[in-house]
Amino acid sequence: MLILSRKKNEKIRIGTDIVVQVLSISDSQVKIGIDAPSSVKILRDEIYEDVKKHTIEATIQSKEKPAPDLSELVVNKLNKGK
Amino acid sequence: MKLKTLQFGEIEFSDDLIIEFKDGILGFEDLKRYVMITEEEGIFYWLTAVDEPEIVFPLFPISSLKEDYPQKDDYEVFGIVRLAKEPEDITINLKAPIYINQAGKSGFQKILDTEKYPVDYNLFVEKTEE
Repeated sequence: MLILSRKKNEKIRIGTDIVVQVLSISDSQVKIGIDAPSSVKILRDEIYEDVKKHTIEATIQSKEKPAPDLSELVVNKLNKGK
Repeated sequence: MKLKTLQFGEIEFSDDLIIEFKDGILGFEDLKRYVMITEEEGIFYWLTAVDEPEIVFPLFPISSLKEDYPQKDDYEVFGIVRLAKEPEDITINLKAPIYINQAGKSGFQKILDTEKYPVDYNLFVEKTEE
């Protein structure tokens, strides 16, 4: 891992097209701005990891192809004012 | 094209049913070509990777769950389903939906960075709950 120290407003350039800037610093949080082409996907890492985990589990479980007994169940609609 | 699948045995289909995912799917970015397999009595769509047929994503249409879920013209939106032995444990990913344009043979995945939609939403509830 490359480790750099930056002060507020300083930037880091990744490759030729990606620029990362420190926008603000507080005790517990850093605000980071990222300039990148739209083809580059930028995600909070925990979302990436959560999605990847669920997706991998989905492919593993798909091999079982269970035929669940749905007679007592209905689809869980999300429209209840949530 | 012929494919050997775990769930359906060997299947044969016309190549013009192949759907292109330009950027692949998160975690499987190298797999760009898929076919949608459906069963007559089934409720899921089985998105199967043409180049690696053991990789299959069961999909469920999100429109059945939430009417105002983000749509895209000409595309149908699905969630990847993680199956389980107990139906109450079956979850669907509402945070990283799969959009598919079957006529246009293209698909993509979008990540919705909002707390509103979880990665592992329970697909089924008991009928008695109101």
